Amino acid sequence: MGIKDLFKSGPSVEVMGDRDIDVPAEPINENQKIVDRLMPSRKKEETRSIKGPIGIDIGTVNIVVAQSRGKDIKAVRQLNAFFTIPYSNITRKTLSRDEIMFFEKNEKLYILGYSAEEFASTFGGDTRKPVESGLLNPKERESISVIKALISRFIREPVKNNEKICFSVPGEPIDRPASVIFHESIIKMHLKSLGYYPIAINEGMAVILSELTGNNFTGIGISMGGGMCNVCLSYLSVPVVTYSIQKGGDYIDKMVGSSVGEMAAKVKAVKEDGFDLSIEPRDRIEIGLHIFYDDLFSTLAQSLQQVLGSSDNIPRFSKPLPIVLSGGTVMPRGCKEKFEKALTEVRLPVTISEILVAEKPLFATAKGALTMAITEDSEI
Amino acid sequence: MPSSVIVYSPDEIRGRIISKTLQVKGIKNLLFTSHFEAEEAINKRPPPVIILDTKKNLASELNFLKTLSNNLLKTTLIVLSNPSDVPVLEEMGIDMVLCIPDPFDPELIFLKARDALAREFSMKSFARVLKQAVLRASRFFFRSLRIIIILAIGLAGGYIYWCISTLPKIGVLDNYSPYEASRVYSYDNKLLTEFYVERRTFIPHEKIPKHVIKAFLAVEDKRFYRHHGVDFIRIISALIKNIRERGFVQGGSTITQQLAKMLFLKPEKTITRKIKEIVLSIQIEGKYTKDEILGLYLNQAYFGTRAYGIEAASQAYFGKSTADINISEAALLAALPKAPSKYSPFKDPKGAFRRRNHVLKRMLVTGFISKKEYKKSLTEPIPDRFHGRKYKAPYFVDYCRTILEDKYGDRLYTSGLKIYTTLDYRMQRIAENAIKNGIKDLQKRGITGVQAALLAIDPKTGWIKAMVGGTNFWDSQFNRVTQAERQPGSAFKPIVYLTALNNGFKPDSTIRDKMFTYVLTNEEGTWTPQNYHDVYRGVVTLKTALALSLNAATVDLAKKVKIKNIIKTAKLVGIKSSIHPFYPSALGASEMTLMEIVYAYAALAYGSRVGPMCIDRIIDREQLALVGPSGTKERVINKKALTGIRQMLRAVILQGTARKARVINRKVYGKTGTTNDYADAWFIGFDDKMVAGVWVGRDGRAPIGENETGARVALPIWIEFMKNL
Ligand SMILES: Nc1ncnc2c1ncn2[C@@H]1O[C@H](COP(=O)(O)OP(=O)(O)OP(=O)(O)O)[C@@H](O)[C@H]1O
Ligand SMILES: [Mg+2]
Repeated sequence: MGIKDLFKSGPSVEVMGDRDIDVPAEPINENQKIVDRLMPSRKKEETRSIKGPIGIDIGTVNIVVAQSRGKDIKAVRQLNAFFTIPYSNITRKTLSRDEIMFFEKNEKLYILGYSAEEFASTFGGDTRKPVESGLLNPKERESISVIKALISRFIREPVKNNEKICFSVPGEPIDRPASVIFHESIIKMHLKSLGYYPIAINEGMAVILSELTGNNFTGIGISMGGGMCNVCLSYLSVPVVTYSIQKGGDYIDKMVGSSVGEMAAKVKAVKEDGFDLSIEPRDRIEIGLHIFYDDLFSTLAQSLQQVLGSSDNIPRFSKPLPIVLSGGTVMPRGCKEKFEKALTEVRLPVTISEILVAEKPLFATAKGALTMAITEDSEI
Repeated sequence: MPSSVIVYSPDEIRGRIISKTLQVKGIKNLLFTSHFEAEEAINKRPPPVIILDTKKNLASELNFLKTLSNNLLKTTLIVLSNPSDVPVLEEMGIDMVLCIPDPFDPELIFLKARDALAREFSMKSFARVLKQAVLRASRFFFRSLRIIIILAIGLAGGYIYWCISTLPKIGVLDNYSPYEASRVYSYDNKLLTEFYVERRTFIPHEKIPKHVIKAFLAVEDKRFYRHHGVDFIRIISALIKNIRERGFVQGGSTITQQLAKMLFLKPEKTITRKIKEIVLSIQIEGKYTKDEILGLYLNQAYFGTRAYGIEAASQAYFGKSTADINISEAALLAALPKAPSKYSPFKDPKGAFRRRNHVLKRMLVTGFISKKEYKKSLTEPIPDRFHGRKYKAPYFVDYCRTILEDKYGDRLYTSGLKIYTTLDYRMQRIAENAIKNGIKDLQKRGITGVQAALLAIDPKTGWIKAMVGGTNFWDSQFNRVTQAERQPGSAFKPIVYLTALNNGFKPDSTIRDKMFTYVLTNEEGTWTPQNYHDVYRGVVTLKTALALSLNAATVDLAKKVKIKNIIKTAKLVGIKSSIHPFYPSALGASEMTLMEIVYAYAALAYGSRVGPMCIDRIIDREQLALVGPSGTKERVINKKALTGIRQMLRAVILQGTARKARVINRKVYGKTGTTNDYADAWFIGFDDKMVAGVWVGRDGRAPIGENETGARVALPIWIEFMKNL
């Protein structure tokens, strides 16, 4: 697969005035494009040979790395998954020859990324996940090694020591006790060991940095990914409230699957193949998808009411706030309207001006993280 | 540049929010979340302003607070706190003006900080400004003039120093954006609207099309590119005029000065203020280029309909961006800043049209546009529709706005006032529905394009309780309660009869109801008043004559009591429009507004004259009341006459032209009115709590329709309103 120019529609990061906040020092200008490469394993040099700050989004389903390259932003995406097969010398050699991402440990070969999916379908199994619900998967013993390996395949040692790298972390989940500290520290340590200067950014905040440049980074950013939804309310780029709920695209797949008696993978395939929430459902799977999208948006709206309602740090806003939706789960058409409807059912302590959807939902978090890395870089 | 503000908050998020707000608005600051570091920084270099957040834990900040307020005399201390901690802080002697309790409002904190910084006008920059002023003066003006000015500065030096010590600092004003919306409530606590500054979309001067700039130069300040900030020729002539008039009302402002003027919050017309403006103008001219100044001016100016800045105005009036407006649209905008509501195309389309064409003419004369462009632009229509956000009780809200704007100027839009009006929103809804249904009934009879208005007031206080100025505000903002001057027709008659009662007549005194031809005093000609059904009853009582609205009898009575006495009575009950001293006036031929008549009826109904009141009270951000109710009330009708007129107006309902109103099962009083050719239909009436008036007609004064009288058209609306109260 070759390089795909996903960002045909003009500028994706605006140039901002000099007294704005956390803004890239060398604003990436109007002709900027984001280039997406789906299979970095074939030509790893591309990512690595580029100097400068990096933004990285480590999600439940995907890992995305973003860097600026001249006037463009280059974003590379990989599946955050692995698949193990028993070790044998021949297999190892074949893998190496085919430039497949893998590493070996305890007499096993760990296949990484998209290749893991290919292997899984050939061998008739499921891929395994180093990250679950946004955090390192406690059920996988090797999750740390896998994530390290994946990261190292993406980015090698920086040209400049202490190059800035900004990675996204989820907010504290409100529906389940879990700590992000462990997750954050492990990744930080690893990035440091590679020679970087790591900075963590809340995933919702990253969405705001990416999408709300025109509104002084003031508003609510929501990233709806595979494992969770991340929410951040920002005032002039200060994250005032952040949290997450541990429901996302995977939840929809699972619930629809068990409700209509299909494999989650089948549901996922239907969902990702041009499914449209703005038209009437045509079959059982689509009906299920409608129902659980509604369910997810409603949970999200209620959580907003609950969390914002109980926070006493929310300042007075002189004008209504925009909400921006991002993450793979908001790819289907009609998400905006569904969420709008869910919002009418709750009462928020802030008024909402409009609901926006990120231009490229799968890349917004990484792009925001990159913005942060560039800003930090220019400040010192 | 060193930081001018130190922010200390143990709550990191709050601290960052404050710090960022200040930073974004151009105030440099340092943020500390630990005591120790904050103290160290303050001791090293005491800043002019410290913001101290005690919300999290007042107890642990008390000592710090005490040390700061005792040791740093030159520093302004702004204290943020829990509302419940305010008494403690007050006890400690913290300046309450500078204490900001939660709800957490970063913009308010910024405003306070900015004000505090503005007071910091150092001696150093004063000296520089003075030098600059003298230099400029000497460089550009005749020697004699120079001497006068230097002398003046010498003499008035101390005074000027005092003036400018309270001057806004222009550095800070680079990011001038003080806004908190004011909220307008009805008496029953319904939020009617917010008065706010439209988000000022700043457009840089180089993006403003040339013809737009020229339109403004053509009217505002032709000499702009030549003079230096203060147009001395204008100032001198203004001064001479002022001396003559012993006041300070003449404008004489250049664009730079107008910009300087906008930078002050309160409008005041004093010499002190004028000097401040001049000094600020000179400063501005020193710092910015002419183009930048014009750009700043256009971005700051007020264009009416809540539009501050040219971009907001283009959007509000034309629904497009400044970059896209044409010559004629630019000319209309250029006409607005002078008198935004007077020349509003929505209020006075004809006036706005004339004014715009005047601007076009000026553009032609100054050679800014060609003859061809001029001709073409003249024919363009002016906008008739507002492109903005809608609000409740719009005619009333707009009426209040005009009154409040006069009094509070910009503050109305920026200082977060809570304005409690007298309007009863429940009644307002009833009124709006009554009008809507009345218009619908007319449509059923095939009559369209008719306007209607309603005003209801509390006669004891003068409070406006409901006001509908037309059928649809968003189509036409012309307020037919306060702005439409129409002939009241028979609705005026009670004033004639009241005059009679005041002059010894009684309700059952008799007059002649006979066709009679009068010779009009002012005009050459004769006039024969006719009764509606062309039936004449010979001798009738006053009561019957009014109840049946007999024209011939009324003119007979007018002749007896003399027209000049009727005019006197009209003035007494509060009519301000002039009443022409000839007989047709007795039948309501002199034009007046619905508002005037309704207030006149309030006096008729209760014996006391009250003035219109639309505001109950205003609360500012510091929770202080700015105005309380202050209506005047004057007894104007004696007891006997009052009983008489009420009895007669009751007869109109029981036996007269308004018998339909008997469906209301309480005592109501009133009078119908219909003018020639059915151009206006009226009903004005009252019960023991409320006076309400309804008018129906066409803006162009064409007939409503054959036989569409006050009783048939206006009365049903009035009944629906009164019945549903
Ligand atoms: N075209 C599509 N239509 C619907 N859903 C999609 C589409 N593409 C991807 N998704 C869903 O988006 C999710 C992945 O999105 P994303 O990459 O933003 O998540 P992540 O960042 O990996 O996860 P998280 O943020 O929860 O840790 C998956 O559930 C996937 O099924
Ligand atoms: Mg994600």
